[in-house]
Amino acid sequence: MDLIFVNLIDGLVTGLLLFMLSAGLTLIFSMMGVLNFAHASFYMLGAYFAFQISLAVGFWMGLLIAPLIVGVMGAGVERYGLRRVHQYGHVPELIFTFGLALLIEELVQFVWGKNQMPYSAPDILQFTAFSIAGNSIPAYKIFMIFISIFIFIGLLWVLTRTRVGMIIQAALTYPKTVESLGHNVPLIFMGVFGVGTALAGLAGVIAGPVLGTFPGMAFVLGSIVFVTIVIGGLGSLWGALVASLLIGWMTTFAKSYNFRMEDLLSSFGFIKPEPIWDSKWRDLWTITSPQIADILPYILMVLILIFRPYGLFGKRDA
Amino acid sequence: MTDQLTTDPAKPAQRMRAGSMTIPLIPWVVAAILLCLMPYIFTANSAITIMNQMAITIIFALAYNMLLGQGGMLSFGHAVYAGVGGFACMHIMNMGDFFSGLPLPFLPIFGGLMGMGLATIVASFSTRNAGVVFAMISLGVGELIAACSVIIVVFFGGEEGISGDRTYGLPFFGVEFLQQVEVYYLIAFWLLLSAALMYLYSRTPLGRMANAVRDNPERAEFLGYSARWVRFYSFVASGFFAGVAGALFAINYEILTEENLNTTQSGAILLVTFLGGVGFFFGPILGAIVFTLVQTVLSLQTELWGFYLGIIFVATVMFFPGGLAGLIMMHVPALRMGKLGRLTVPYLKTLLPAAIGMMGAAALVEMTFHVRHAATGDHEMTLFWTTFDSHSLTPWLVAIAVTAAGFAITRATAPAMLDAWNDANSADGNVK
Amino acid sequence: MTAALELDGLKKSFGKTEIIRGVDLAIASGERHAIIGPNGAGKSTLFNLITGRFPQTEGAIRLHGLDLAGKAPFEINRMGLSRSFQITNIFPKMTVFENVRCSLLWSMGYRYNFWSMVGRSRALTEGADEILEQINLTARRDLPAGVLSYAEQRALEIGITIAGGADVIMLDEPTAGMSHSETDYIVELIRIVTEGKTLIMVEHDMGVVFGLADQISVLVYGEIIATGAPEEVRANARVQEAYLGAALEDH
Repeated sequence: MDLIFVNLIDGLVTGLLLFMLSAGLTLIFSMMGVLNFAHASFYMLGAYFAFQISLAVGFWMGLLIAPLIVGVMGAGVERYGLRRVHQYGHVPELIFTFGLALLIEELVQFVWGKNQMPYSAPDILQFTAFSIAGNSIPAYKIFMIFISIFIFIGLLWVLTRTRVGMIIQAALTYPKTVESLGHNVPLIFMGVFGVGTALAGLAGVIAGPVLGTFPGMAFVLGSIVFVTIVIGGLGSLWGALVASLLIGWMTTFAKSYNFRMEDLLSSFGFIKPEPIWDSKWRDLWTITSPQIADILPYILMVLILIFRPYGLFGKRDA
Repeated sequence: MTDQLTTDPAKPAQRMRAGSMTIPLIPWVVAAILLCLMPYIFTANSAITIMNQMAITIIFALAYNMLLGQGGMLSFGHAVYAGVGGFACMHIMNMGDFFSGLPLPFLPIFGGLMGMGLATIVASFSTRNAGVVFAMISLGVGELIAACSVIIVVFFGGEEGISGDRTYGLPFFGVEFLQQVEVYYLIAFWLLLSAALMYLYSRTPLGRMANAVRDNPERAEFLGYSARWVRFYSFVASGFFAGVAGALFAINYEILTEENLNTTQSGAILLVTFLGGVGFFFGPILGAIVFTLVQTVLSLQTELWGFYLGIIFVATVMFFPGGLAGLIMMHVPALRMGKLGRLTVPYLKTLLPAAIGMMGAAALVEMTFHVRHAATGDHEMTLFWTTFDSHSLTPWLVAIAVTAAGFAITRATAPAMLDAWNDANSADGNVK
Repeated sequence: MTAALELDGLKKSFGKTEIIRGVDLAIASGERHAIIGPNGAGKSTLFNLITGRFPQTEGAIRLHGLDLAGKAPFEINRMGLSRSFQITNIFPKMTVFENVRCSLLWSMGYRYNFWSMVGRSRALTEGADEILEQINLTARRDLPAGVLSYAEQRALEIGITIAGGADVIMLDEPTAGMSHSETDYIVELIRIVTEGKTLIMVEHDMGVVFGLADQISVLVYGEIIATGAPEEVRANARVQEAYLGAALEDH
């Protein structure tokens, strides 16, 4: 029972982290039609910048400054890169962001090398918040949860309660109309892109100590983020939230509980072949849930595509 | 308003030629002859290995372009079809006693069928969308299959992959395929065959409609074609040829691992195809050749070649989305007007300094990397055949000077090149 | 006799906004029918409903008596209905000739054929050239369609629309944005190529409408307020009030 609680927290951490990334991505997509392949790369840059800054002035300055730097870089990419490629269509835009992701990964390796960086949580948070059945929950994870929820609420507030937010929401669906009303839509685009990437950077800042700061971190998380927004429905913020949490919990529980395929198959009456190592079906019989935990999101995506092609909350015309 | 470059519709012979999309035979004959002669020009075994790799990449890139260039579908997970085709062939080779009657040259057919089979399954749920949604789905599916390949050890061999022996069967007309050169001719044959088939495919109704659906799916629907099914068939066809490439890989290297299926590999083929140019049939061919050469040569010279590749790729997307093929074809109007020669000197004056400037910049990059990452105390580095101390000032000054000078000259001569370009591209008497 | 196209109690709402509020219309075979109305009346929506772009909220659409509910655009096209678009919708990268040839492929039975060379088929080449003659673009045959002038592209659009041999042709503002002489030219073209077919046209240019149409329907706020021969419609008080007004004086 207590294990469930631990897993709920771990899953929540992963899910919220995923949400921070997928929220920005899906917002950018629904507004500009651009699917930013390099989104996870900005996440990575956030972690690396924060690490570098923390070496000089500590973790908290890193937390504050790194997302800003990443956001400015993002805005720059939109202004000087995307805008240029935009004329060729959406597919070239995607190819551009793919190239960017590649470049950023190489850049990171160029500056920081290929090894993992010793980016760790600040000392002030390195204690155990509480223990459940012998498993200690680090305070840092609680901190992560709070920051994510705070950001989400902040985002929701800005989008629904402020004037800027309403203009953005309008530009989300009718950019030309909003432009003819006198708003500087290109500036809004640049701003949304910058904020979206800053969010990704923020996720990197707080995830770096936990998930590791290494050049492959963008790649590892990147495809999951895309799967998340396909499952949630492209353009839907709620879909991104639901899908993120779903995936977070699904993978955490699968890893933690050792569900074995042989138990499942036996309960249906299939007999396990002996000796198992000679059997053709040995791969099927020896599947355990921790083994497939990381590919469960992909399987879910394929199922969603077959049965509900527009995602959980997707709009038909997306 | 007459335009000398169009055919005269009054002449039936010319009309027929324009309408019939005649398949130019000469390039194919030349290619065939060249392929036959290559091993005699480059005799070293290492050269043959490179050529084999090039040929396999060409087939894969052409197959990929059936989707991207012809069909407008961007896939981030195409390596799985090649990989699966390769693994299937590996298993056939390993079941030597059962299949000893099957001569090696026929093996790629089975690779193709396997690739096609998988492509059919995936296409059934992913071709409803085009564009970015399709791309995302392809990424997810590609990752899924690549991840499964580590789990399904029976078929994919787990961490070590599957290895085989291409001499499993009876000799084919006396050839046992023990030697690299024999494998070369097998691959070259399949290269010519596959390329020809893919080229002809683009001239069939399905191939034409693939282009139409790419440019304007809505319009294509009102011509009676389901955009979804056109995409489906393009996907399946592309999967077949990818499988052929995979089979040839298996034959050539006699080992296949999870690395052949993964997203990195899929990304690589996207790179190759795009750099070569998606808008022309020969683009991927060019891309594969150039990329293989550059990769082989550059990876020996510097650790940072991936970094340079990334820069080149982004620059290509931003400034030359037509790729190498596009760049070359841009010169066709000038060629037709016989004014291509006018560009030689301006090009030399501008592009040569630009190249030198880039070399200088690369030198700076290499030196920075060396200073930052080399083991402490290790100050010596070799660049452009010179060994020097990366911590001393002189090399830096030299590099900065070269870079600055190169780019400065480029900047100065660029307007003249632009003028020459405009001149070469306007019919005499017109001034742009 | 079954009408070529029949709309039965057709309604369409987008969310809470009802755009089409109940349209009943029957268009006979071989008839030239124009649909006119002020901006925002729902003409484009009506067109999109008929051609299967989105489903109706209520009511039925029947083509030669067959219900079109749930059919995809390509299925409707195969049943004999073809449309042009308000914003020119051709294949800009292909040559003019190829544009027309692609329009012929399905109707000539090629389906998803991947073994025949399109270049070898005389039927395709001659058929396409014939259509090019009809729309007078033979001189532009081998240019990329994207470089044609606006009026030429519109002519090509019409050519593509009729090429497949559909017997119900729907044209969405075919003369939009054209000069006087270009309009006259296109009108003649339309008259020739739709000979014997059913033509349904959305138009703003009254000259075109009164010159070409056998029957006119007036759509205002999602409802048809009048249908009939041009003179009847012109004389109809409601129509005059709602729409034509001063424009009538010119004709």
